[in-house]
Amino acid sequence: MGWFSRSSSEQSPAATRQDRQKCWESRDQYFECLDGVGVLTAGEEGTACTKSKFQYEKNCAKSWIDYFNKRRVLAEKQKDMLAQSQLQSQEVKRKL
Amino acid sequence: MRPKTVTAPGRRCFTSGARDRAAVGVCFFSSSVVFTPTAAALFVATGVGLFYYFRYEKQKLLEQRQKEFESRSVGRAHVGGPFTLTTHENKPFSDKDLLGKWNFVYFGFTNCPDICPAELDKIGSVMTSLEQNYGIIFQPVFISVDPARDSVSQMKTYLSDFHPRIIGLTGDYATVKTTCKAYRVYFSTPPDADPKDDYLVDHSIYVYLMDPNGQFVEAFGQSSTPDEVVERVKKEISEFEKETGRKV
Repeated sequence: MGWFSRSSSEQSPAATRQDRQKCWESRDQYFECLDGVGVLTAGEEGTACTKSKFQYEKNCAKSWIDYFNKRRVLAEKQKDMLAQSQLQSQEVKRKL
Repeated sequence: MRPKTVTAPGRRCFTSGARDRAAVGVCFFSSSVVFTPTAAALFVATGVGLFYYFRYEKQKLLEQRQKEFESRSVGRAHVGGPFTLTTHENKPFSDKDLLGKWNFVYFGFTNCPDICPAELDKIGSVMTSLEQNYGIIFQPVFISVDPARDSVSQMKTYLSDFHPRIIGLTGDYATVKTTCKAYRVYFSTPPDADPKDDYLVDHSIYVYLMDPNGQFVEAFGQSSTPDEVVERVKKEISEFEKETGRKV
């Protein structure tokens, strides 16, 4: 991907629609693999998923990788919070 | 009842003769005493006075209501302001260029992982849908919050992936900062960002609808769907038409 192999003395051009699509697909594959081994935070899976991880890191900018990984963890935590608050509201309804 | 005890000129009272507990008296005023020319004149004058007073108050109320109706910005946030930036075709573009069109203004940057492309696609889909009904009276504007990296050529390349009518705007840091401030947009780019760096910009995510008078109408968040936006815009256009007789 010419997008990343540029030398650091030049500004990388913005990603095209295709670049983005490719990045998202490799991200989704990597995340699916992580789900498979029950790992939430990227990097904690050890030697599993190295192939998809390699593709992911090849197709996406570092800032994007950090962002997607963080968001994955955040989304999961928010899911827990949502489930909890739903449970609470159900309990309240029952009491009423 | 014992008739007639004249107590005052023109006043005749009839009282019950017996010393009842409840002494009831009925007094009648002779009409010739009450209905004098002066009284008549006073009566008419009061009536006329009241008539004019009520007419005046009603007029005032109507004017106020008209004014409120005209200034639709009552209750709306003061978003927007003057700015001059450069388009992706390297032409100047100011807030004056928003006049005469319904504008969708979105702030973002070209190195955005997924949100900006999604929002720009949403704008594109909204435009396609609305233009079928109204024709080309809409103007989508994409303003960069990453002046260090989003040069004119960068914007041009980036926007080639989206709806052809989206106008990309960029400028120097100071101008971008002023524009963002006017639109109450938060953005995290520092003034000395290195264009060769790989960084993301944190920013408010809204599509701002501005009417043909350059007035702010609504801010659509990420969760609003294209259909919701289309419905809202249709409603606003019909309101605008009611007031001005024109769609744009």
